[in-house]
Amino acid sequence: MTGGRPAMRKQYVAIAAFAAVYLLLGLLVRNSYYQLIMTLVLLWGTMGLSWNMLSGYSGMISFGHAAFFGLGGYTMTIAFVKFGISPWLGIPLGMLVGVAAGIVIGVPTFRLRGHYFALSMLAYPLAMLYVFEWLGYQEVTLPMMREAPALYAQFNDQRAYMAIALVLMVACMVVSLHVERSRFGMSLLAIKQNEPAAEAAGVNALRWKLLAIMLSAAMAAAAGALYAVVLLVVTPQSMFGVLASAQALIVALFGGVGVYWGPVIGAAVLVPLAETLHAELGHIVPGIQGVVYGLAIIGIILLAPDGIYWRIRDRLVARQAAPGKDVLPPARAAGPVPAAIASRTDAGSPKSGAIDAAPRTRGRPLLELDGVMRTFGGLKAVDGLSLSVAEGEIHGIIGPNGAGKTTLFNVINGFLPANAGSIRFAGAELLGLKPHRVCRRGIGRTFQVVRAFARMSVLENVVIGAYVGAPTDRDAERLAFDALDRVGLAGDRAYAIAGGLTINQLRLMELARALAPRPRLLLLDETLAGLAHEELEEMLGIIRQVNREGVTIVIIEHTMHAMVKLADHFSVLDHGKLIASGPPAEVVRSAAVIEAYLGKKWVDRAQHPVA
Amino acid sequence: MLSIRSLSVAYGGLQALRDVSLEVARGQFVAVVGSNGAGKSTLFKTISGTVAPFSGEIAYNNRNLLSVSPAERAQLGIAHVPEGRQVFASMTVMENLEMGAYTRNGRSRWAQLLPTILELFPVLADRRDQLAGTLSGGEQQMLAIGRGLASAPELLMLDEPSMGLAPAVVDLIFERIQQVHREHGLTILLVEQRVAEALEACDRGYVLETGRVVLEGSHDALMADARVRRAYLGM
Amino acid sequence: MTDWQWAIVDLFQALAAGLLVGGTYGLMCVGLGIIFGVMRVVNFAQGDFMMVGMYIAYYLVTGFGVLAFLGPYAAPIVGAVLAGPIVFVVGWLLHRFLIAHVTGARVVSAEAEGHYTQIILTLGVALVLANGGLILFGSQPLSVQTPLSRQSWEIGPVFLNQARSVSFLIAVLVAMGLYMFLKRSNLGKALRAAADNPIAAAYVGVDVDRAHRLAFGLGVGITAVAGGLIASTQSFQPYIGFDFVIVMYAGVVLGGMGSILGAFWGGLTIGLVQQMSTLVLPYQLQNTAIFVVFLLIIFLRPQGMFGRVWERT
Repeated sequence: MTGGRPAMRKQYVAIAAFAAVYLLLGLLVRNSYYQLIMTLVLLWGTMGLSWNMLSGYSGMISFGHAAFFGLGGYTMTIAFVKFGISPWLGIPLGMLVGVAAGIVIGVPTFRLRGHYFALSMLAYPLAMLYVFEWLGYQEVTLPMMREAPALYAQFNDQRAYMAIALVLMVACMVVSLHVERSRFGMSLLAIKQNEPAAEAAGVNALRWKLLAIMLSAAMAAAAGALYAVVLLVVTPQSMFGVLASAQALIVALFGGVGVYWGPVIGAAVLVPLAETLHAELGHIVPGIQGVVYGLAIIGIILLAPDGIYWRIRDRLVARQAAPGKDVLPPARAAGPVPAAIASRTDAGSPKSGAIDAAPRTRGRPLLELDGVMRTFGGLKAVDGLSLSVAEGEIHGIIGPNGAGKTTLFNVINGFLPANAGSIRFAGAELLGLKPHRVCRRGIGRTFQVVRAFARMSVLENVVIGAYVGAPTDRDAERLAFDALDRVGLAGDRAYAIAGGLTINQLRLMELARALAPRPRLLLLDETLAGLAHEELEEMLGIIRQVNREGVTIVIIEHTMHAMVKLADHFSVLDHGKLIASGPPAEVVRSAAVIEAYLGKKWVDRAQHPVA
Repeated sequence: MLSIRSLSVAYGGLQALRDVSLEVARGQFVAVVGSNGAGKSTLFKTISGTVAPFSGEIAYNNRNLLSVSPAERAQLGIAHVPEGRQVFASMTVMENLEMGAYTRNGRSRWAQLLPTILELFPVLADRRDQLAGTLSGGEQQMLAIGRGLASAPELLMLDEPSMGLAPAVVDLIFERIQQVHREHGLTILLVEQRVAEALEACDRGYVLETGRVVLEGSHDALMADARVRRAYLGM
Repeated sequence: MTDWQWAIVDLFQALAAGLLVGGTYGLMCVGLGIIFGVMRVVNFAQGDFMMVGMYIAYYLVTGFGVLAFLGPYAAPIVGAVLAGPIVFVVGWLLHRFLIAHVTGARVVSAEAEGHYTQIILTLGVALVLANGGLILFGSQPLSVQTPLSRQSWEIGPVFLNQARSVSFLIAVLVAMGLYMFLKRSNLGKALRAAADNPIAAAYVGVDVDRAHRLAFGLGVGITAVAGGLIASTQSFQPYIGFDFVIVMYAGVVLGGMGSILGAFWGGLTIGLVQQMSTLVLPYQLQNTAIFVVFLLIIFLRPQGMFGRVWERT
């Protein structure tokens, strides 16, 4: 995202310069074997870009990119051999098949996480490998077309293949660049760093992941098809084998994850190295290529786990800019918030009077829980809970450790399904909605342990939250600046990397992220815990101000000090049940509450004071 | 026996403990109370070695504990009964107790200790071959304490034994803890949210608030102090 | 006999073959189960350690003939069992000097990124082993020669290949020995405790890092024994490991992730699935059947896999 047009132009110039130099170099090389290597660099670079599109940006590590590679290659080959379809058509056809496979694989597999995703991705190409062997496609050779070879993408001059591969890879680089700088790439990055937080901030994770795997599969299929065109032969092992998947992953990881130059660098270093060794020593040591890739990945994981690109960039950045290591351009003034967006807030009735005024009549209910039940095994974490949050109030939910408060938030915002009950927000049922949908309805939340996108800047973190409320990326940025301003993180601090913030700053950032799309209701999970006195006062001030601007707030806390001053209404939970409810001053005097907090013995003692 | 001086710990980006000092004498029952987020669990994790402090000292029997590995700390006689029980869910009740006796001391005194533990918590004897994961919360808490006792500890550290348990069970568990302390003279360090039970049982107490010790004193002094009540209820 | 009777004989034949193959798969899965259970690390190279076990058995028995003095019947068995301690040492050292850099007590509880570095590191190890195997051993398919592989016991109309039967028995014995070790010995219990709850294990005095080293060595060693046993029943080449990685994970997932002994039953089931699939599918699609079963297990039993992601804050 950010960076704007001039920065984009710079990237285009860099890509064009790279392509020109590569082309020139390729034209100068006379040895046809070296020409082939130069083509292979581009093909594996494309595979690396394909892997990076899915796994580099979204963090879902794929060990099965050979599935798309192989499908592309075999589709083109079979279309050519069986039906006489020219590779010029066969390659796009292969891409279509790849995209279809991407959807079929993605829909079920994206439900899995971590190891399980990686392993099941490994299974797909291996399953296909045996199917293609069984179908009798052990070794399929492309027929030589003597008449009109160019029509069938056959050239005497190896350099023609190199030029085609260069066009393909540059196209993939440009696509990757645009993904990186858009809402799409930012959302993937957010998913990679913290998927629950991204969902809670309104990012539809499944949609973006599917889009990523479709793009990624198209790239891999194109690379596979072109690979078959260049080598004129396909075998199940070379197309679907583990080495094909591994090479895609390794060039990307080696060169640099999550940036489109990474796979290009990785391929440019590793492919010539492996191929040359193979040519020189292949007859003595047949597996040398695999060993090179294996050692390369072991080395890179141990020495520079993010890849060469980032290692070099970190060096350069450290040397260039000692004062601030901002990745982003300097601050720009936040523009006015468009009226269409701003109006969302006006629905809330602005709160009148000072916060510590006498008890007011409560507004009409905004959030209504009725008999909400959530169990974990035998434990009733939320046990038939009914409560109502009035529009415009600050509603404190308190209770001892393990009372079910965070579980309740997780049920409200869609992380956990409820076993029974109903939750209505502004009259409409919430239960059954995914977190990003709940967010879209106008409910923002923060987390007990701050879920930041640690490697993004503060501004980028907040922009991701703003996407839900903004039609364009530019509007999202405006909303983000506005939210940062409201929590007091505007100015230089907006460009700091989130990973380096103090806990208090992180909480403010998370608050801004939840505020950015202008929600009607904010769920704050222990936003006050562990804050020192001055920080606490600052946070209280911000929460009050946000509330005064019309946002209804539900806040969870263990400790009551600050809450007594902050909240208009208390609901006290113990063992998943509501044990008291009402104005704070009354609630803290109730025997049930004192017992829940201080124990039965304390109550006994208070009632029968010993002289 | 245990002496903590000016301990500061940052944990998960949060300054969890600030300049905490605390003393436990042999045979004493010391309670640390405070609401959640006050840093109680972090204090325990630092003592048993799963969290490293950035400054301060912990001495145990005049030995610098910070240079000792977590596994070795258990061998030195420190038994940590963690928050949320953390029993070995896939192992039987007996196997859990045997794991408690994994330390050198525990193994050599196993024959004497086992009957004592089963007497203390008869329900564990009834369920000796049941998988720990299938026990109720209260039973798991008893098992976790039994496991701690099986290591023949010099210092028993209990982290929120009341968490998530019904009041009657909490009463029973506190009774048993006091019984162990009284009858066997075991040194106990207890962290609790339920301040009344904890302070009533202890010889000496500390009140922790946002990572700092805000109050300390004897049992009687703390029970009478209105500030304890204020720390909890804000009034 | 009528067609129906033949069909039933085929069924029993496939069942018997599945059981016999499944026994060795079960042992293989137990090896992986120990590693995953204790370390929560996906070891991609597990199949390649199995391959190393196969070649060790081959070279001890047929290649160098060190064990020739034991005679043609005992040598393959002893060779397979000896692969265990040799690979144990290799695994121990590999963990000590390489894998420990990205795993350990701290990483177990860490978030996803740590896992990725581990799985990718083990992918590197797998590539080096498989291709290093190609360099050292060549691509020629080999098998450990035993006269048993050409002999069968007949139980009614069902044939039991003797080499497979003996492999099955040894696999079951080794698995039972391991079961006793885990169930009875202090070290075994410590391993189970570390697998069950590493934090609590550290609190009762288990050195979790040492448990990891032991688990890794033991895990690859056990799988290597299974490899050595399989080596006398089928031919192999250095790339065989990649196929078996999925077989092993299918078994481990089926048996319940983290359950060391459940992995044996999982592996046994996978063996049955593989052999039974030949009743309805062409012979070449045996492995595809396993992969499909693997995917189905993963999709249909998600609770053990990501059910608790939200809670783990």
